[in-house]
Amino acid sequence: MTAISTAFGLVFDPTVLAVIMGSAIFGMFVGAMPGLTATMATALLVPVTFFMAPVPALGAIVTATAMAIFAGDIPAAMLRMPGTPASAAYADESYEMTKKGQLDLCMGVNLVFSVLGGIFGVIILIVLAPVLAEVAINFSSFEYFWLACLGLTCAVFIGTGDPLKGLLSLFIGLAIGCIGIDPAAGQPRFTFGNVDLLSGINFIPTLIGMFAVSELLRGAVTMERGGHVVAQAVGNLMTGVGAVFKKYWFNFLRGSTIGTVIGALPGAGADIAAWVSYAVSKKTSKEPEKFGTGHIEGIVDSTSANNSALGAAWIPALVFGIPGDSITAIVIGVLYMKGMNPGPSVFLQTPELIYAVFIIFILANLLMFPLGWVAIKSAKQILRVPRNILLPIILIFCIVGSYAMTNSLYGVVLMVAMGVFGWLLEEHGVPVAPLILGLVLGEMLEQNFMSSMIKADGSLIGFLSRPIAGVLGVATLGLWAFMIWKALPFGAARAAVDAKA
Amino acid sequence: MRFNDAVVGTAFLLIAGAMIAMTFTFPPFPGQKYGPSLFPRIIGGGIIVFSVLLMLREWRAGGRPLLVLEGWVRSPRRLASFALMLAAMVFYLLASEPLGFMPTAFLIQLGLFLWFGVRPIMAMVVAVVMTIAVQYFFGSLMRVPLPRGILDSVL
Repeated sequence: MTAISTAFGLVFDPTVLAVIMGSAIFGMFVGAMPGLTATMATALLVPVTFFMAPVPALGAIVTATAMAIFAGDIPAAMLRMPGTPASAAYADESYEMTKKGQLDLCMGVNLVFSVLGGIFGVIILIVLAPVLAEVAINFSSFEYFWLACLGLTCAVFIGTGDPLKGLLSLFIGLAIGCIGIDPAAGQPRFTFGNVDLLSGINFIPTLIGMFAVSELLRGAVTMERGGHVVAQAVGNLMTGVGAVFKKYWFNFLRGSTIGTVIGALPGAGADIAAWVSYAVSKKTSKEPEKFGTGHIEGIVDSTSANNSALGAAWIPALVFGIPGDSITAIVIGVLYMKGMNPGPSVFLQTPELIYAVFIIFILANLLMFPLGWVAIKSAKQILRVPRNILLPIILIFCIVGSYAMTNSLYGVVLMVAMGVFGWLLEEHGVPVAPLILGLVLGEMLEQNFMSSMIKADGSLIGFLSRPIAGVLGVATLGLWAFMIWKALPFGAARAAVDAKA
Repeated sequence: MRFNDAVVGTAFLLIAGAMIAMTFTFPPFPGQKYGPSLFPRIIGGGIIVFSVLLMLREWRAGGRPLLVLEGWVRSPRRLASFALMLAAMVFYLLASEPLGFMPTAFLIQLGLFLWFGVRPIMAMVVAVVMTIAVQYFFGSLMRVPLPRGILDSVL
């Protein structure tokens, strides 16, 4: 009980509340701008949170991402341009509703079900995380090794339909993570005698480079479009939302559940949750022919799903230190920076921090209602901000943020190098999110691998001898076998032949 | 700008090969069978396997050109926009220490604004306001030691 009251004290502090409010507005803005994603919002926030205590730092990230995922719905409906990839699944549907003159209803439903879906995900997080932590407390390096392998393997599927390129990206990240002093023996590796590289590849400039600078490079060549002009006026948002809830409450529950499950799975986040729940909604609907013509049903499912996925993604992140999506990958990096290594022991040692995160999550979702309402009403003004003013300003933020991490130009050099590298990778269809996960988890993976190797004296059977480790190991190896079969040229060819037959 | 997967695979194959070659210079972990070279070798091996698979897949599919250029590469103006975005970052690396953060950030924003067609007065105002805001927020509030450069005596 004392931990909970401490947590309330930590959150309801004027500074923390101000930080939450500020990052809420920031998140709304970034989410509502087409082309700026929730991940980018987080990447730009991290250097600022670096200077804060753990609670406001986590509060800023939680709030900004929750807002950004909702705000992405706004330009999706008004301009047919999803503000974040998580809204892409139902951007067409929303825009069709707008064309039919139902913008108010569409925005109202998006807002209400985003809030409800978000709270749904948080409740599952609050119920499930401590229970799982009880189990995880008995884990040894073997279990953690397999868990890290499983999490990384799932990460391969983030943002790509091509597992081979995802795997390549993941291994590049793990390789980049090897640069610096090795965690077991203290031997410098791949540093080329450079003092800066001894400290390793700093995660934040890499993150800013890969997620923000590469976006700026892409943005520079598609600059013609200035601001966006929104013609539609927004009226009363709440008219008809109650009726929608009455008719589609089951869709809300189903969407939230799908979102929570997908969010909690390592590797898949809000955008995949939205796609899957939209597809499920269409498949099981009584009137599937209405989908795509501006029908509210699929929107209820998927707008609940992407917000519930956000909270659920924190379950594996907090309990095992394994990210559920690219945002929690960043969060885990931040937690390590703050010296609170995610994992079950956090629940025992500093439960007040965990409760504080839960409280902030609820607060953020409640705050989403009034702020989202304001954002919808002022969408005309927000969307009018031209990109040719926005991109140079973001560039300055990127530079200063990277500089602040090392207090030297090394951070900026790293940002530029990783930005160009990330841009090249994405040009070739290689996703960057697995790379970031590999970089974040590389050291933990190697540490657990090395100590397991030494404990088991090199025998691979030792990796499977504990019961939970055995189950996790077999699951991981099975997944790998499946992926290798799929990736092999003859495997893929055979699958293609099967599909044709 | 997109090379085909055989080229991508070759590039990473070479990098991973070099990485594994370098691990042979690492000293062993005293008293242990497994030293700091083990993990990088596994990772390097993985990259080699995936690169080869990528190349095999490309050769099987066959017929894709080595390099495909998108439309924007042929448009001089867009190519210049891309180069300018990069040049702005390189300019910061070169100029921020001698000039200081504020003049450099101001020049970068002004240059990019004007190139991307923001009206001059607007560009001036936004560049000045944002430079001061960032200097105040990061330099004063967050205490990041942004380089002062030529403004050392003023700040």
